[in-house]
Amino acid sequence: MTYGDVPPSAMLWAPGRSNGDVLRASLAYMVTGLASMLLMGLLGLLMRLDQAGMLIISPTWFYRVMTLHGSGMIASVLLAAMGGIAAAVSPTTRLSARALWIALVIYMMGNGFVVLATLVGGFAGGWTVLYPLPEHGLVWSLGSALAIYAGYLFVALGLFLFCVQMLVALARSHGGLTKALAWRFLFSFGRDTRDALPRPVELIAAVIAIDGIAAATAGAIYLIPLFAQASHLITSVDALFAKNFVLLFGHTIANLSIYVTAGLVYAALPAYAKRAWPLTWPVAAAWNLIIPLMLLNYSHHLYADFAQPFALQLLGEIGSYAVALPSFIVTIIGALALMYRSGMRWSSASIFFALGLWGWVFGGMGALLDATIPVNQVMHNTLWVVAHFHTYFVLGALAFAWAYLSYMVEMLSPVAAHRGIDAATWLYGVGGAGFILMFFVSGANSVPRRFAVHLPQWQIYGRIAVPFVVLLALSLAWISWDLGTRMRSAWRATLDSSGVS
Amino acid sequence: MLVQSRRAVPFDRLEGPETRLRLVLLGGLAVVSIVLFGLTLRSLPFPHTRTARVGAPQVVVDAMGMQWSWLLSRRELPARVPIAFAVGSRDVNHDFAIYDSTGRLLAQVQGMPGYTNRLLYVFPRAGEYTVRCLEYCGLGHHTMSTTLTVTDR
Repeated sequence: MTYGDVPPSAMLWAPGRSNGDVLRASLAYMVTGLASMLLMGLLGLLMRLDQAGMLIISPTWFYRVMTLHGSGMIASVLLAAMGGIAAAVSPTTRLSARALWIALVIYMMGNGFVVLATLVGGFAGGWTVLYPLPEHGLVWSLGSALAIYAGYLFVALGLFLFCVQMLVALARSHGGLTKALAWRFLFSFGRDTRDALPRPVELIAAVIAIDGIAAATAGAIYLIPLFAQASHLITSVDALFAKNFVLLFGHTIANLSIYVTAGLVYAALPAYAKRAWPLTWPVAAAWNLIIPLMLLNYSHHLYADFAQPFALQLLGEIGSYAVALPSFIVTIIGALALMYRSGMRWSSASIFFALGLWGWVFGGMGALLDATIPVNQVMHNTLWVVAHFHTYFVLGALAFAWAYLSYMVEMLSPVAAHRGIDAATWLYGVGGAGFILMFFVSGANSVPRRFAVHLPQWQIYGRIAVPFVVLLALSLAWISWDLGTRMRSAWRATLDSSGVS
Repeated sequence: MLVQSRRAVPFDRLEGPETRLRLVLLGGLAVVSIVLFGLTLRSLPFPHTRTARVGAPQVVVDAMGMQWSWLLSRRELPARVPIAFAVGSRDVNHDFAIYDSTGRLLAQVQGMPGYTNRLLYVFPRAGEYTVRCLEYCGLGHHTMSTTLTVTDR
């Protein structure tokens, strides 16, 4: 299957061998992740209706739903991203389909615990499970707190297994991890090209696997003392220590979603721009820099914790600024340059990619403002924070994930997309932009986040947002129906394939 | 984007302009970031930096957060005087956030179990101010607020 001048890097099939089993696991990750995202999105609509005063939910249920929406959405987007990156590297990297399925089962067991803890156990401690709230909720039991800890531990374990497998496979296929990270090429400023260079998506997969392992480890460091305390093995856990590690875990996982899906842009956008996107020195430098920078910027969530060491406060701002530069200058400018005067083929997938690039730009601007300490002083924990990460997710990571799933189905299925699907994708952009804009306006007007009951003067923002959320839901229903009708033939294609494109 | 992407030109003709654009952006954004960072250093909200700017506090208010109320050592405060709020928590994490009567957020600090965070603030004018908890702290989180009365004494 070819697209005229499509470069080989954009293809899904491994030359000379079958990677259909990995593609099936990848499809399972993406479909599960995006279907869960749709459900979590409906929970978000419920919350926005409540904040608009259009539907009254009791605070008990609002905060349960809020907890499930937050944790479920982060887990869903990351799962879809993991599936995409596995498919994208599979033509040149031998991943174990069995290991992928095992990681998926463990990951989904974790999600099952979270669903049980919130909907059955009544846990409403927020997705951040910020110690000591889970154990001092007053209305939910210690059992439901332990269930959510177990859920997070399983999610962290699933992510850990996925990342270890990815790193091992990449190191094997390139003859070492440093070669998968193109270090000889990087540190010689692009002069030493003796090693076969990885494709950008492979280098990115190695980068995110390293940070994924770090994030999963931070999660374990956070959760193990909490289990110990719940078992009375220790009397208490330091609140500042706990906050640092839960954010290092949670914030890095949320960041991973956007960076993993950015890797999908490198993998599939060339198919629509009909130009190759090889590894260049700026790409290698930018993505290697992401390894430490992604682990530093969580600290901007602790500016209001004045007990946090001053150096870490400054590092939070420096790290947040620094991580934006390589992402913007290399990936976003690179993608726009790839598209510029390319004779671009526009379809649902490429529209999603374009939306995602702009969403990343605007989400990044919102994040940079919030990461500026004096601004954060009057923005922290308002809906501005919610605005910036919804921009990253809805118009960034999720747009890229939907783009890549659309690309996969387009590549695999002989059935053409239905008429009007491009319009539905544009409507996704309109719905997402309007919905998010009202979060930004609310945040600029100091409306707090995580409030079950909004004052009458705040409800207008929710009322304007709701029609845009409905538009977003309708467009996604349309797109999901289109992809769903073509998914069976796409799945069959992975079974029938001899593995040769 | 839509218009320009439909016209095809060979990619190698674009590589030079793309590299120049990257360098210009890198230089420009690096300068903006450094300047912005330098400016923020002048207006950090931390106690030692605020003390240097507004002077040592003349009034200290102990503020203890608990699910779901604030316990304050005093509620009537003078305007235009540096005030230190010593914020702590008896149970979970809270956030002591001061809103003015128009609903604008003025300043905030976390109330953490086991720590006391000091927020220095100078109320610019007399009036009623609202303190809200901005760190999610359980089912009564949205009800956790109180008021401060600031006078021209």
